[in-house]
Formats: sequence, C-alpha cells, structure tokens
Amino acid sequence: MATAAAIVLIAAVAMFDSRAAFSPSAGTAPGDVGSRWYPFWTATLMGIAAIVVAYRAFTTPQAAEGIFAGRESIFSVLKLAVPMLLYATLIGGVGWKDDATDVTYTVIPPLGFYLATALYMGGFAWWLGRYKVWWVALIAVAFPFVIFAAFELGFRVSLPKSFLYDRGIAPF
Amino acid sequence: MEIANYFVTTVSSLAGGFATALQPINVAMLLVGVILGLIIGVLPGLGGTSGVAILLPITVFIAHGSLPGSNATTAIILLAGIYWGALFGGVITSILFNIPGEPWAVVLLFDGFPLAKRLGRPGLALASSFVSSFVGALVATILFTFFALAIALQALQFGPAELFAVFVLSFATLIGLGAEAPIKSVAMLALGLLLAAVGFDTITGEQRLNFGQISLLAGISFVPVTIGLFGIGEILASAEEQGIGYVEKLSARLGLRDVAQAFRELRKRLVLVLSNSIFGFLFGVLPGHGATAASFLGYGLARQYSKNKENFGKGEISGIMGPQSAADSAGVASLVPMITLGIPGSPTSAVIMAGLFIWGLQPGPVLFVEHQDFVWGLIASIYLGHLLTFIICLLAVPLLAMIMRVPYAIITPFIVVISIIGSYSLNNSMLDVFITVAFGLIGYWLRKLKYPLAPLVVALVLGDSMERELRKALIAGGGNPLYFFSSWLATVVLALAVVLVLIPLARSLTRRRRPAVVTA
Repeated sequence: MATAAAIVLIAAVAMFDSRAAFSPSAGTAPGDVGSRWYPFWTATLMGIAAIVVAYRAFTTPQAAEGIFAGRESIFSVLKLAVPMLLYATLIGGVGWKDDATDVTYTVIPPLGFYLATALYMGGFAWWLGRYKVWWVALIAVAFPFVIFAAFELGFRVSLPKSFLYDRGIAPF
Repeated sequence: MEIANYFVTTVSSLAGGFATALQPINVAMLLVGVILGLIIGVLPGLGGTSGVAILLPITVFIAHGSLPGSNATTAIILLAGIYWGALFGGVITSILFNIPGEPWAVVLLFDGFPLAKRLGRPGLALASSFVSSFVGALVATILFTFFALAIALQALQFGPAELFAVFVLSFATLIGLGAEAPIKSVAMLALGLLLAAVGFDTITGEQRLNFGQISLLAGISFVPVTIGLFGIGEILASAEEQGIGYVEKLSARLGLRDVAQAFRELRKRLVLVLSNSIFGFLFGVLPGHGATAASFLGYGLARQYSKNKENFGKGEISGIMGPQSAADSAGVASLVPMITLGIPGSPTSAVIMAGLFIWGLQPGPVLFVEHQDFVWGLIASIYLGHLLTFIICLLAVPLLAMIMRVPYAIITPFIVVISIIGSYSLNNSMLDVFITVAFGLIGYWLRKLKYPLAPLVVALVLGDSMERELRKALIAGGGNPLYFFSSWLATVVLALAVVLVLIPLARSLTRRRRPAVVTA
C-alpha cells in the first residue's frame, strides 16, 4: 500500500511539473503536442495504475506473515545494505561548501575508491567472514590492488581518488 | 529480392561475419565473455542481465579501441558472450546444488536435481542439459541468420506510425503476457517511460522533470539504474533468501560416457528438442520475455506430449531437455527484435541495446545497411560462442562448481564493488553511484512486492525513441490521431497490441466467474 502511495506521489509531482501540457502554445511545430504532454499522460497512467494496485491491496486479504519471513531475513538484508551505503558515502566523503565564504567544511574526508574498497572488503571479511587478521589484511590489500591494475592500468579507467592523492601523498 | 538471391546474400554476409568474428581480439573477448558469463551464471546472487549491465561501461573503452584492434563489434561480442555463458552456467547450480543460478534454470529443479541426486547421475543430468541447450541455441541461431535480414529489410520501410505501433506492441506483450499482475506491469512501464523523459526534450530541447537540477539535465542514465535494479537488487534479494551460510553440494565430473549417453537420449527426443527450440524462438522474439518464460513453456510441452508423464519430477530427461532447448533458443531469439527493429526482447538484450547507443550505434534495421560488419560479426559470434560455451561446460564443470565454494563474505562485497565501478566509470559521476545504490534498494523492494522489473527497464531504454516516433507521427499527420492507422501494418499491429492488453482482463474476468459457478 505504501509503495503504491509513493508511486501516486511521484506521479502527482510529475503531473504538476508537466502542467504546461495544456498550454495552447505547447508544441513548436503544427501537430506537435509539446514537451510536457508525454510526461503528463505517462504520469497520469502511472498514478491510475498505482491507485488500482492500492485498491486491490486494500480489498484483498493480505498474507498474515507480512513482507519479510522473519527478523533474521531483515537482518540479512541490512547487513549488506548498511555497509554498502557507508561504502558509497566514504568514497566521496561528507562535506559541503559555503558559497558565501568560499570555505569547504569536511566531516569525513573523501577516501576515494581504493581506500574505501580496502575498508569495505576487509571489514566484510572480518565482520561476516570472521577471518584471521592476516587474511583480512590480504583481502583488504589484494582486491584494491588487482582492481587498480585492471582498471587504472589496463582499461585506463580513472576511479575516484582519496584526499591523500590530492595532497600528493599516495597514488590512490 | 528473390529467395535464391536472398539466400546467397545471407550466406555471403554470414561468411563475412565469420571473418570478423574470427579475428584474434574478437575470439579472445568471446572467450573472456563466455567464461565470465559461466561464472556469473553459477553465482546465485548475480544474473546474466546484471553481469552484462555491470560490464557495460567497460565495453565503452573496448568499443573505442582501448585494446589493440578492438571496436564496437568486439564490445558486443564480449557482452553477448556473457549472455551465452550465463544461459549455460545457470543450470549447473540448479542441477548440482538445487539452487537456480538464473531464473530460467528454476525449471531444472524439477527433474535436473532429482536425476543428479536421487538417481545418482549428475554427469548425465548436466550433459543432457548442455547438449539440449546447444541444439536449442543452434536452431535459434540458424533461424536468426535467415530471418533477421528479411525483418530488417521490411522494417526499413517503416514510418513513424508503424514504428510507434511496434513500440506499443512490445509494451503490450509486457503487460499481456507477463507473469506478474498486469496492472503492476502498467505502473512499472509508466515509471520507466517517465524516467526516460527526465532532462532535455529531444524534439524541442526544453527542460523537463529536472526540478532545476543541472545534474539531471542530461537525463537519468540507463546504466546506473539497471546495475542497481539487477546487480545490487539481486544481491540483496539473494542475501535474504539464502542468509549468510553455505549450501549442500554435490560434485560432478562429466565423463565421455555421460556425454555419449546424453547424445543417445537426445536422438530419442529429437522431435521434442527441435519443436521446443522453434517454440522457444517464437516466444523469445516477443519483447520482454526471453528465456525464463520459454523454459516453463518448454517444460509444459515436454510433459504434455510425453508417454512417461509419471516420471516428471523424478529425474525425467525430457524434463531437462525440453525446457533447456526452449530457454536457450529464446535467449538467442531475444536479440532478433533488438537488432532488426531496435526493440529489446528481454531485459538482457535491453542492456545490450543500451550499449549500442553508448557506442554511438543506432539499433534497428539501419544497422544492416550501415554496419554490416557489426551485425554479421555478432551473428557469426553466436555460433562460435555457443560452441565455445558447450566445450567449456563439458570440460570445466568441476571448476565451475567450485565457484560456489567462494565464501559469501568475499563474493558479495566484491559484486557490490564491481557494480560501483560500473556505474561510476561511464560518466565519472558519484551521482551515478548513488543512483545505483538507490535503485538497488528500490529494485529489491519492488521485487519483494512482485512488481516486474522488465517493463521498467525496457521502457527506460525505449522511452525516448517511442516519444520521438509518437510526436513525429503527430507532426506528419498535422495533429490528426487517425494518422496512426494510416497504413494496414500499423493498424494490424495496434489491434494486436489492444488484444494483448485485453488478454489479462479476460483472464481476470474468467477467474472471477469460476468460483461463482462453483458456489452456484
């Protein structure tokens, strides 16, 4: 029900943004319906479909056990989702720039792809794999190294670098 | 064009295709793709679509010559190789571990695993699967070879009304023949079309749905969304289904005896395998379906026409060969509408099609005129790719099965890392990384609530083109909607689309009537 409601909300926002679909000067060529017509009616279709889904969910008896099989299944997903979000955040760091003073405030410096990957892979091996320290260290070093060799040197794909790279301390 | 001329043109084009496909760099990338595909197919947390999506950004560099002698043909051969590998690889875990590596291998749990475990013939189960997959793929590739050019030549005559009608038909099949609730397919389809509309309007150049954000002006890139929906989403779903543990494993080594027996069993079931291959091809050509639906269709047909119905579910070889020939045939067939009409036949071919856009090619009939090397190189590589996959599967089953022994704590974060690289490297954008993570969570959630993802992905890829054809048709017709019915072809295709959308409605009506009859 909440998912259908979210889809209806997205549809409403898109319809509001595309309200110019009804402007008489919508199109630039004779016969053209303009740039807003298509998103407006697509959003309308999406909204109607989501309302029907919500109505059916409301009028149909729902399974007693709910969406998740149990607490364990929720934890299995969270154990993967939370570190993944942290990993993505650590790559670029956390901070903001005050345009008025031109000062940058840094809460977490950008660790870049390689340092963040070392932490992520090593952390996972230590936390969920329960490996010994030297295995954790090996995984944390070997994977970023192999990825560096394959992507930066092999495919010449430049991945985000850390604050150490910006200061000229490390090549990653 | 006369039939004889058509045949000669096709054969000579195919010969040229083999000359392209057999270039050392293309053979090397085909081998890499097939091996990667087999590994991806074996891993339960990663599917063929996500594997292709994750590696798509890397193919940009390959298509632009980052490897000596590489070009767009090399790139598509690599991606197609992954697809072929995944088609074969998914069955190994179904048969040996009772865990489907791919959705189309689910059906093998019924008879593949029982033959392997209960009857103690894992080698025969695997060999039967590989042999029938190979035959199915071969039949589909031959049909692909001889029909693709005809479809493309016909499609070259299409105007905006016909093209729009074909788009509508492809969306109608997603709604009408989909496995999930049709109304959810409609919602996902519309969401995909809406996401495709974000950014500049391609006809007037006006901004829309970007809410003042400059970063959204270029639109929502297809690649990070797909990597999120399929790569991250599948990993999250897999984490929930399997927890963090290890699975019971059977070991298998394929001997010559198993392969020889599989060929003998194939000879006994040649009519079934050939007919299922043809049905699989016809099913695979329909947009949005591909191998999974065909595998169930193949199983149903095998059971329906078997004299040993009671053996099904207990390790019946027809229960392996029937679905496998149909699934592989459909997998190959799903590339036909993508190459000839610019309409993907499955989520995986939708991702491959996105690759064509990124490499600067326009999928559709024009490819047959402007990029013959590319098209025929791809078609020839399908023959080579399946032969290569078949040989590797026969030789390397024990090695592939060992992949399942890589611990969860290593393989899962590694897949996340590769997904992040894939989403970042296309535009060097951290925004794309967060889009990937966000759509990973959204994809996981939608999957849980049984919202189909295929319509979302296909609509996201086709949204722009569909809108362009719609508006070109309206401009050409001076705003008159009757222009959409100006040719018999467009009218027939649109009528077919309406029928396809009405199918689920009729189905739900009959479903409601039945209990009433019973109670009455």
